[in-house]
Amino acid sequence: MTMHASNLTAPALDIVGLRKSFGKAEIIRGIDLEVYKGERHAIIGPNGAGKSTLFNLITARFAPTTGSISLHGQNLAGMAPYQINRLGLSRSFQITNIFPKMTVFENVRCALLWSKGYKYSFWNIVSRSQDLTEGADAVLEQINLAGRRNLPAGVLSYAEQRALEIGVTIAGGADVIMLDEPTAGMSHSETDYIVDLIRKVTENKTLVMVEHDMGVVFGLADRISVLVYGEIIATGAPEEVRGNPKVQEAYLGAALEADH
Amino acid sequence: MTDTTTHSAKGLTMGQLAPWVIATAFLVAMPWIFASNSAITIMNQMAITIIFALSYNMLLGQGGMLSFGHAVYMGAGGFMCMHVMNMVQDQGLPLPLPLLPVFGGLFGLGLATIVGSFSTRNAGTVFAMISLGVGELIAASSVIVVSFFGGEEGISGDRTYGLPVFGVEFLRQIEVYYLIAFWLVLSTLLMFLFSRTPIGRMANAVRDNPERAEFLGYSARWVRFYSFCASGFFAGIAGALFAINYEIVTEENLNLGLSGAILLITFLGGIGVFFGPIIGAIVFTLLQTVLSLQTELWQLYVGALFLATVMFFPSGLAGVLMMHVPAIKMGKWRYLVLPYVKTLIPAIFGILGVSAMVEMMFHARHAPTGDEEMGLFWMTVDSTSPLPWLVAAIISVVCFWVTRRNAPELVAAWHMANTPDGGSA
Repeated sequence: MTMHASNLTAPALDIVGLRKSFGKAEIIRGIDLEVYKGERHAIIGPNGAGKSTLFNLITARFAPTTGSISLHGQNLAGMAPYQINRLGLSRSFQITNIFPKMTVFENVRCALLWSKGYKYSFWNIVSRSQDLTEGADAVLEQINLAGRRNLPAGVLSYAEQRALEIGVTIAGGADVIMLDEPTAGMSHSETDYIVDLIRKVTENKTLVMVEHDMGVVFGLADRISVLVYGEIIATGAPEEVRGNPKVQEAYLGAALEADH
Repeated sequence: MTDTTTHSAKGLTMGQLAPWVIATAFLVAMPWIFASNSAITIMNQMAITIIFALSYNMLLGQGGMLSFGHAVYMGAGGFMCMHVMNMVQDQGLPLPLPLLPVFGGLFGLGLATIVGSFSTRNAGTVFAMISLGVGELIAASSVIVVSFFGGEEGISGDRTYGLPVFGVEFLRQIEVYYLIAFWLVLSTLLMFLFSRTPIGRMANAVRDNPERAEFLGYSARWVRFYSFCASGFFAGIAGALFAINYEIVTEENLNLGLSGAILLITFLGGIGVFFGPIIGAIVFTLLQTVLSLQTELWQLYVGALFLATVMFFPSGLAGVLMMHVPAIKMGKWRYLVLPYVKTLIPAIFGILGVSAMVEMMFHARHAPTGDEEMGLFWMTVDSTSPLPWLVAAIISVVCFWVTRRNAPELVAAWHMANTPDGGSA
């Protein structure tokens, strides 16, 4: 299953010597990571390992203390989130982060505006733009929310809001999709549903996904990186990572203890 | 106003056009219904306030920017229009009066571009504080930069400067009314359409969730900036119409008092729906003109109304109207009529009883000694004798008691009217 893209082309994401401190506490302690084009890459780790911090560093929510992050070979240092988004990286949020007062349809349409070239236009009427309407409806079909089209997003069930969150993330056509614990707080059946959805919508895209639970990403990820105390202790195919004694000691053992 | 028409992207439906046609017809007909000069003066004031309030709501309601200095852009447009008017008169330039609001708008836009370039970096408290500071700064400079603001007397002009435009000299109020009405329809339409453009939709998105909007490729700051500029443009048009209508612009047209008033008006009307500020402007102008003739305490009542709105109906008068849409759509509004009559009529009388006591108190405290008689609801009463006090107190207590007793019935009826048949909502 692994899609080892040729190392001659630049990786989708290239992280070199990344460190991040908050005051005296160093949360990310030197990370080097390459995410290949077209692979589904999961970053897992126990609570407090720095997964979300790493995620927020890549998407410019935080600025790194040292180190660099490149997207398709372009250094992201000093860029604002909207600039990174325009380079083809889109992210979801751990806490559902949609526009609750807008309808489901409008949420997706907002996500389409920039990529469809509307930019800061004040001379187009959005409801009269066929490409927006069709594009948004196509995304709603994809995430199985067509039946909820005209409801305010805030009234959807939790799982539906998570699905919408994913829809909003992918709608703009970004080729690098980053999902932050997309199944957090879900039941088993909901988790299976969302994982299938993620598999479907990230076809032919690069996926970086942060997840607490290794089981969730096992069938989905091409490669897994394990993050413990701000360092990546292992990267590889799921089977490889699962068999790694360091991983078993640092992460799976702790997780098993917590589960049982 | 959610977008329910997206399925039929081509062609305008009757439902979309009807409000505009009706409103325009209404504006054309109004001077025949209310023909007196004072009524037309009130309507002019109303129309100007509507444009101003709608422009303010582009910030507050649609962009989530709480400004304490929006009068600056209206005032700036007004002063600019007045200067252009005087210049055109002095130089004898062939510029007809109906086009002057464009200059007011452009000047408002220019000023908003300058101020917005630094104030829209943040929303929230920072934006509010900058707007307050800029508002104070410009109000203060109006006394200093006398050549532009005219000091304490302000700047006055003569709107009848030019040759008649199609035989209209703008001598009479009614002619000015139609000029203002034209700009009212045009500005309102443009502001409405703005809210339907990509930038207008993203203004909503940035208001609700700036971080999410950034990850959709939009800079929250630039989205706010463009809304701010557009808002300044329409505020400038309102100011220019003010200048044309009153032929004088003073510091009062850009000070903090007016900035506060427009916040109150917009909120009173409702910031969540496009037409909310229109209702707010109409109600406020009526109170300001009609009620202020009846009582010196009108501002007290406006304040009480504002407080009640903020506390009990945060979505404003328009929000209260919109609350009834589901019941009307289901054809169940009839259930509400009787309970409304049974609660609202006593409530109104209760409020009138309280206001009678407030008025008598004010009279007893402030009238010159010996003047004990006062007019109260078409009656003449003695504010120092206990009888009217007693009557007013009894009316209030009884009416509020009845209201309270009937309130559960209204709540039950409300629930019933909003429950679809054959199932719970």
